[in-house]
Order: sequence, then structure tokens, then C-alpha cells
Amino acid sequence: MSMAWMQITSLCRKEWRIVMDTPLGYVMAIAFLIVCGFFFESNLFLIGQADMRGWFSILSLLLMFFIPAMAMRMLADEKRSGTFELLATMPITTMSIVWGKYLALWVQIVVLLALTLLYPLTLSWLGNLDIGQVLASYVAAILLASSYAAVCLYASAITRYEVVAYVLGFVMLLLVFLLSKAMPTFSPAVQDWLVLLSPLAHYQSMLRGLVRLSDVMFFITMSGLFLSLTWFELERRRWR
Amino acid sequence: MIQADKLSRLYGEKYAVRDLSFHVRHGEVMGLLGPNGAGKSTTMKMLTCFLPPSSGTASMDGIDIQQDLHVRRRVGYLPEHAPSYSDLNVHGHLSFMGRMYGIPEATLNDKIREMSAACGLEGRLHQRIDELSKGYRQRVGLAASMLHNPDCLILDEPTTGLDPNQMVEIRQLIRHLGEKKTVLLSSHVLSEVDAVCDRMMIIDGGELRALGTRDELIALSSSGLVLDVCMRGDADAVVTAICKQYDGCEVDMHTVEESGLTKLTFRHVDDSIPLAESVFSAVVAVGGVLLEMHAQETSLEDVFHRLTGGTS
Repeated sequence: MSMAWMQITSLCRKEWRIVMDTPLGYVMAIAFLIVCGFFFESNLFLIGQADMRGWFSILSLLLMFFIPAMAMRMLADEKRSGTFELLATMPITTMSIVWGKYLALWVQIVVLLALTLLYPLTLSWLGNLDIGQVLASYVAAILLASSYAAVCLYASAITRYEVVAYVLGFVMLLLVFLLSKAMPTFSPAVQDWLVLLSPLAHYQSMLRGLVRLSDVMFFITMSGLFLSLTWFELERRRWR
Repeated sequence: MIQADKLSRLYGEKYAVRDLSFHVRHGEVMGLLGPNGAGKSTTMKMLTCFLPPSSGTASMDGIDIQQDLHVRRRVGYLPEHAPSYSDLNVHGHLSFMGRMYGIPEATLNDKIREMSAACGLEGRLHQRIDELSKGYRQRVGLAASMLHNPDCLILDEPTTGLDPNQMVEIRQLIRHLGEKKTVLLSSHVLSEVDAVCDRMMIIDGGELRALGTRDELIALSSSGLVLDVCMRGDADAVVTAICKQYDGCEVDMHTVEESGLTKLTFRHVDDSIPLAESVFSAVVAVGGVLLEMHAQETSLEDVFHRLTGGTS
């Protein structure tokens, strides 16, 4: 195992340990599952079909609230408590710090999403569920959450205060959401661009059960862009 | 060994550190003294590669600080206020630090045990850091900085906030470490630097004001000889005799009416003259009684005050 990878996993393990040792992780997981369960159950009895498309559409909205909460302390807390100086003077590159934090956040999100697998399992037992479509939707949810995580990690890098990081992350995701919702009000040419640049449009496209390379690449590019911005923000102190 | 050559750091248009040159030998504890805002922490941040210098160079054991990852492996750093992951317990924090410095899992626990014993943390390994006192947090910071057995230790105000007993313990620990490593510690507590360091440098406004051993610094800023005398008898005759013997000798005289004692303070720029002997002889010659005589010593506080313009 290379030194850089060992450091990234150590950072990830440390974050995971903080989440497990404090009420933060449990509160977040319980709140997420309660809200997800509520929307799953209400949709299920309303439609009366073994279908999860409605739930996955609402999930994109829920992620907008939960991911900023999970990401807010990642870097802001390090800066506020002074441990960032400790971290930045260890033999680790700034990019590895960003990867370590991102991986920790990503694993937490994937674990939360994995906990919701109970819903499709229940549905497949009750009715005839399209497993392929559900799997594609989970891939879409993980990709969307990954890009949201990168956005919120960036928000956490630009401030020392967790609450400010939450608000910044939430506002950035809200802008993405509002732009997607306001799409029909724009001219067709602008709409074409917005469809191309909107994470929600790519997400909705994948919910149909089709995992297209262009959609996957979009989410990877968006994550890469915000991770680069996070790296830039952390390195900026050196150029002041 | 730590070597800095014309190290400078600008914050905007203002120099936080300017043309700072010094070296710290292996097995030496160097104190970095200065008032608040003098540039101590900025100097340490540059040496630990947290901030790059605006100009100048520095090296750790011959490795330029531009090669930051190589330098960081050789340096143990305790930032100001000893930050640590307060949500973790002591063992968790030290394990994380050890892994980040590449200590193999097989030896990590032994290293943690060794360092926690050296820093008096044996009974606290499974306690959460946010439940520890300030002194123990400082020890955790010190243990973490030494875990990977670095050649150089850079400690930014390592005893801030400790009680007197804890201060003595931490100083002893640093003194012990200084025998085998290169230690640079910053402080604005003069007694601490005096007790722990082999040499010290004083910086102010980002610039080096003085560098040397305690005695060298005192000699450097010594203002000459000052002799306090208390006598009974004809003080005027003594003063006349001394001023005749030594040109440029200044005297303050104060007579206490009730007791009839006279207090004299003799000042002369040349501290090599045998002023005490001359005063003793003069008092005896006028038939007086010498009750008290002592030379005023320049303290480190005086040196610091003079060199930093009394801004602390």
C-alpha cells in the first residue's frame, strides 16, 4: 500500500471514528431513515404499485438537506479548532487531504443509502419490482450524492464555521435545484445548455433505468471540479 | 540541524518576518523570544512548511523546506494551543497521527505506549481529549509531535496555560529531549526560555534583535556597572573621592534623615573597573561604616525590554 493511500484511508478512518463516537452520525442516520421511510411509505400506499421512481425523485431533494449537514464539519471544524495546521504540516499532500475527507464523506453517504435497501427488498417481496431500474436508480443516487458531497466539501473549505458551511452548501445545491425547476421558463437554446449542465436532469434521465456514460461522466466531472476548487481553497493560504 | 537564511514572509504589504538568519545545532534547545506579534509563529509555520517564505531559504538536516514532504517527515511540530482532535480519545488521536507519519501498525501501539509514558499520559489513553485538562492536552500535543521520532522538534509556546507544576514537568521533558534532538521553542515567558534553552534569539517586528547564550545576550545589552551602597558617615567625601578616581562616574545620593544612613548608587559605563573595592576603601578612609553594597545585575527581562522597545 502506498504512503499516500495509507494516509487517505487513515484520514477516512479518523472521520469515521468521529462519526461513530459522537451522536452526530447516529442522529443523522436516524433522521435520514425516518424521513426516507415516511416518503417511501406514503408513496407506496398512494400509488399501490411496486415502483420506487417517486421515492428516488424525492431522494434528490432529501440529499440537498442531509449532505450539507454531513459535510459541514469536515474542513470548517479543522480550521476552527486549529487541527488543520496539524494536518497540513504532516507529510501529506493537500490533494490527499481532500481525497481523504471526500472518501470519508462518500462512505458515510453510501452507508446511509445502503440502509434504504430495505425498501426495494420489501417491495420485491410484496410485488413485481423492476430490479434493473432500481439498481440504475441507486447508481444515479450515489453519483448525485457524490457530486453534492464535493460541492458541500468545498463549502466547508471556505469557512471556519460549521453553520456557515451548512448554509453555503445548502444554498449552492438549492440554486442547482431552482435552476432545474425554472428550466421551462428559459428559451429553448438556454434550456439545451441547462439540461446538459443540470445534475438533476442527468439524475432524472438515469432514473429511467438507463446508465449512460455521458451521465456518469457528468457527475464525475462535477465532483472533480469541486474537489479541485476545495484543493485550491486549502492551498490559497500559501499564496497570500 | 535547522538552518535559516534571510527568511522573510510578507502578509500583503507588511513583513511578518524579515531577513531572519539563524541556525540550531543538533542536541541544542534554541529559544525564540519576542513580544506578541513579533513573528515567532510565522517563523515556525515557515519552518514546518505550513507557509512558504516570501524570500530566503531554510533547511532541516540539509533538506530545503521547498521539499516539504521530506522536511515534514523529519519534524515534530506542536502548534500554538496544542490543537488535537477533541472528539477522539488520546489513543485514537495518537494512532491517527502515527499512521499519518507512516508508522507501521505492528509498532504503532508500542510507540504510543512509549510516548505516553514519556509524557505522563499512561492512565489517560482511553479518555476523550475534550475531557482532559489543558495541561494534559498539551502533553497529548507533545506526545503526538514526538511519536514518529523526529530529528527536529518545533514547539510553539509549549507551556502556555499550564500550572507551575505542569510547567516544570514539561520543561524537564523538553530539556531531556534537547539532549538528542534539535529543538526550537518559542515563548514570551522569559523564565521558561532561561530555564530550558542553550541559546536564544530575540525577534521583534519580524527582525532578529539578538542571538546568543543567556550571558552573551546580557553582555550585549549591558549598560555598564551599577553599584548600590548603603553607608553611615561622610557620604559627600566618598562621592568626591570616587568621582575624582573615575571620570564619568554618575552618583545618585539619598539620605534617610531618621536613621542617618545614606544610600548611594554609582554608575559607570565601564563594567571592568574595580568600583566596589574603591568604594569600600573610600568609606574606610573617611571613617564611615559600610552597611550594604551590591552590584545590580542585568536580567534577561532588561535585555528583552531594551531590545524590543518595551512593547511587551
